[in-house]
Amino acid sequence: MTVSATRTMPVPQGLVIAPQLPDLLLPVKVRRGIFGFLRNHPTVAVGGALLLLLVLIGVFAPYLGTVDPTALAPAKRTRAPSADFWFGTDVLGRDIYSRVLYGARVSLTVGLSVALFASLAGLAIGLVSGFVRSADGILMRFMDGLMSIPPILLAIALMALTRGSVGNVILAITIAEIPRVSRLVRGVVLSLREQPYVDAAVASGTRTPMIILRHILPNTLPPMLVQATYVCASAMIVESILSFIGAGTPPTIPSWGNIMAEGRALWQVKPYIVFFPAAFLSVTVLAVNLLGDGLRDAIDPRMAKGL
Amino acid sequence: MVSYILRRILSTLPVMAIVALFVFSLLYIAPGDPAVVIAGDQASPADVERIRQSLGLDRPFLVQFGTWVWHILHGDLGTSIFTSLPVSALIAQRIEPTLSLMVITLILTILIAVPLGVVAAWKAGSWVDRTIMGFAVFGFSVPVFVVGYVLAYVFALELEWLPVQGYTPLAQGFWPWLQNLILPAVALGCVYIALIARITRASMLEVLQQDYIRTARAKGLGQRSILFIHALKNAAVPIVTVIGIGVALLIGGAVVTESVFAIPGLGRLTIDAILRRDYPVIQGIVLLFSFTYVLVNLMVDVTYTLVDPRIRY
Amino acid sequence: MDRRTLLKGLAGVSSLAATGGVSMPALSQGAAARTLRFVPQANLANFDPVWGTQYVVRNAAAMVWDTLYGIDATLQPQRQMVASEELSDDGLVWTFRLRPGLKFHDGEPVLSKDVVASLTRWSARDPMGLMIKAIQNELTAVDDKTFKWSLKQPYPKMLFALGKNNTPCAFIMPERIAQTDPFKQITEYVGSGPMKFAKSEWVPGAKAVFEKFADYVPRQEKASWLAGGKQILIDRVEWIVIPDPATAAAALQNGEVDWWENPITDLVPVLKKNRNISVDIADPLGNIGVFRMNHLHPPFNDVKARRAILTALSQEDYMRALVGDDTSLWKPLPGFFTPDTPLYTEEGGEILKGKRDIAAAKKLLAESGYSGQPVSCIVAQDQPITKAQGDVTADLLKHLDMNVDFVATDWGTVGSRRAQKTPPGQGGWQMFHTWHAGADCVNPAAYAGIRGNGDKAWWGWPTSPTVEKEVTAWFDAKNLDEEKAAVGRLNKAALEDVIYAPTGFFLSYTAWRKNISGIVKGPLPFFWDVSKSA
Repeated sequence: MTVSATRTMPVPQGLVIAPQLPDLLLPVKVRRGIFGFLRNHPTVAVGGALLLLLVLIGVFAPYLGTVDPTALAPAKRTRAPSADFWFGTDVLGRDIYSRVLYGARVSLTVGLSVALFASLAGLAIGLVSGFVRSADGILMRFMDGLMSIPPILLAIALMALTRGSVGNVILAITIAEIPRVSRLVRGVVLSLREQPYVDAAVASGTRTPMIILRHILPNTLPPMLVQATYVCASAMIVESILSFIGAGTPPTIPSWGNIMAEGRALWQVKPYIVFFPAAFLSVTVLAVNLLGDGLRDAIDPRMAKGL
Repeated sequence: MVSYILRRILSTLPVMAIVALFVFSLLYIAPGDPAVVIAGDQASPADVERIRQSLGLDRPFLVQFGTWVWHILHGDLGTSIFTSLPVSALIAQRIEPTLSLMVITLILTILIAVPLGVVAAWKAGSWVDRTIMGFAVFGFSVPVFVVGYVLAYVFALELEWLPVQGYTPLAQGFWPWLQNLILPAVALGCVYIALIARITRASMLEVLQQDYIRTARAKGLGQRSILFIHALKNAAVPIVTVIGIGVALLIGGAVVTESVFAIPGLGRLTIDAILRRDYPVIQGIVLLFSFTYVLVNLMVDVTYTLVDPRIRY
Repeated sequence: MDRRTLLKGLAGVSSLAATGGVSMPALSQGAAARTLRFVPQANLANFDPVWGTQYVVRNAAAMVWDTLYGIDATLQPQRQMVASEELSDDGLVWTFRLRPGLKFHDGEPVLSKDVVASLTRWSARDPMGLMIKAIQNELTAVDDKTFKWSLKQPYPKMLFALGKNNTPCAFIMPERIAQTDPFKQITEYVGSGPMKFAKSEWVPGAKAVFEKFADYVPRQEKASWLAGGKQILIDRVEWIVIPDPATAAAALQNGEVDWWENPITDLVPVLKKNRNISVDIADPLGNIGVFRMNHLHPPFNDVKARRAILTALSQEDYMRALVGDDTSLWKPLPGFFTPDTPLYTEEGGEILKGKRDIAAAKKLLAESGYSGQPVSCIVAQDQPITKAQGDVTADLLKHLDMNVDFVATDWGTVGSRRAQKTPPGQGGWQMFHTWHAGADCVNPAAYAGIRGNGDKAWWGWPTSPTVEKEVTAWFDAKNLDEEKAAVGRLNKAALEDVIYAPTGFFLSYTAWRKNISGIVKGPLPFFWDVSKSA
């Protein structure tokens, strides 16, 4: 609540106070805010731009000079990059350029979906855990249990349970990532619960959901956002490792991971099969990481302490 | 302190129980039958059924789970379906390579990453800082197996400085043992080095802004002693935390590295077991990993007290 | 001296310093020259060749156990542990006499009772053994070195059954071990063959070690596949499992291993270029790609749908996907039997020859009543051969406008799912892929995949009375001409009823370092007569 000093103070006789100028500068300040923000935080700009570029590549893949990524041509297998096949062909004669561009869809979908679902689930669990003391113990033991199973092994085991599909890959990796997000949220909730304004809200009779909505949530979102970018990057790498081991996306759907898996035996003689998807994957993960770093630095440099 | 440790160990029992139930159920409902893989391509359905019976796979879930837990409590991790060897023997055979790999990676990582992070923090904002952090983000972004292949190609095939694959037990000499582990450790360590360097830098940055550092500088202490004696000690808590969490990461990464470099460790054993549905082996290993993780967490917590006297249990 | 040897030498010196001991480097160089390091085709996870019938188990077992007979390079069974045999005039009683001096690895002599127990266990699992068991009167030891097998009907293929290389082979084990239930694994590996299994050094999935058995008495004749004198010219064989082909290739180039059983064809040019490595065809009997359909449920319960697949299938696509651009590595196969063997035939194979006719295939498919229902194809991703075939099939079915449900999973799951006879919507299947070793397809004897006996047939359960009739005709045939005629008719009937769709015949390479000599082509890697020079 702000108190306007100018209005309540009595005006002395004879003094003329100029009327308040309308604040013309405000809109300009906001505009400078967004671009200024980007200029002051180049990592967010670079990371965000790269990521956007890759998303666009994935979305517009059919229009970027690609052919059917699943079209086999065994007679033309393992050809080197040339005018016909910009990135060469793989072991079954499929065009690597097309597969890599379409693969962007899978990898980005996996990354973004895992980030979204793991964040939502982790948020829910963390909030409940932080607020409801009785549930805290059990929930955190459960999360500890899940965390103590190495994520790759958990994902492989879950994939072995079901058939290979993008949905199952997302599910498997999400389950492996939830514990960390929930711990983060719980930590924030626990520390916020002690804050005076929360005490004040409780004392004034605000119901818990309101407290969560107005006080806790706005404070958890920034660190969660940063964490989500790291989860996204990690999910893309885990997907590639799962495909590498043969427990990931099925071969009928090209993903960077399974393009590399299929070409791994030949990397000495035909390195381009592994090189191109590896390059794209690395750049994408790099972009997401830069974005996350930049956001973290921008939102709260002191958060650099946490993960 | 001792009572704290005891309490912590006790509280891990429910965690392990949950893990055990989770893993056991997972495998129980998984499709894919070890009896089939054993019987081989030429076997008939009747053969497969007889093998299933001889392995006890046709008994109900609770009976199988109960039997398994009972055996565990007696120290018997069961017998591998495929090799008929006791699971504990299989694990014992494979534990040395994986442990060696992880220890070397850990040492390598700390030796490289912590100084890098300290230097980056010291020269925060300069090109040194940006370069180091640039490399760090890069280290996160390239998949482990790609790094492994490149390293193997350059150092093993082309330069012939190091072997391409395999593992030599420590009993056969220190240098042969180390030789086989250098390339895998570097490949595995990339991600870890990046992570720890970043955390170190961030943590150090926070500490370097504190008043007591300014005091130390005003007192005229040298840069090096400020950095390493005062700052690092105070920044150590998050670093140690990350090291603990990173052990789980390492185990996952070891799976891939062991595949690429043909190291006969636990990672490969687990993948083979999962793909073949060798239930007792999978259960035994996951239990082992969980226990290790819990132990490492405990050690991390204890290390806190050494590093930060304010933390007491 | 190259850098590696220098580093190794330094390593030797430093470990000397540590142990403060004897002059090790010279000795270890010599010992290294007598150790053969071999990269097998797959993991040796278990080691009971009667209980587990994978090829890799059979290959290892062939070193450790001996057989009564052994087929030679002409696929004829020759005496191995047997000194002489006699068949009664009515063809019902086989009497065998063992060679003198045969010993087990624990020093005990090989006696008839061991043979009887081993054959009893073997015949409980082996298809030919089961046939013999069904007509046997008794299998007994006459004295320590003589045993006889008396039957109710003649069984002319007896010697082939005892000497064949198809799994499970009739390996001779000590009586106490052979008395293990045939559906349980043996736990002791005391053998009768030229090499001992070093169980204490076994790391399943990573390493297996075999050592020369000094008291083995080889035959006088020259070795030829499983026949003849099995002379061992090295002290140790180490099987090193390297699952990643790129790593195995690098290890072979580096000299860290000596012999790679199955290099993938794409890496062969790199190996061929290396001055220290020799590459050659591993097994002239090769492999046959197999695409099996489920005869119990639609759409493939109708022969027209199956023939539609044969009409559209391009063996060239499958073979190129499997073995790459080297055309010397594959042949089209208009039939089911191994090329370049006595019983090879192309009778009835026109449907697989010539230009592929997609339009005709679609017509046949429509006539069979197929109208777009989902068709499930289970494909194992962890086996390169099945994975490649699965990818080509998915493409083929797309061209036929079939609605494919592509289930990408692993070999273990394929194995259990293909055993389900339930309809596809309820956990069954309609298509899967595998392959047969050419050595298993030279005749109908051990060829479970060619049979058409419905419920008792191999996965897919084809029913074909004609095929069954011809199989019996082959077993009853009295000479090669009769056999050929029977097999020709069998082939034709099998193609008409489409027992399965052969995707082609393909060969694979084997590669070894030039300081190894004595490696021969064959259906399994043979370690006798193989020597290593420094």
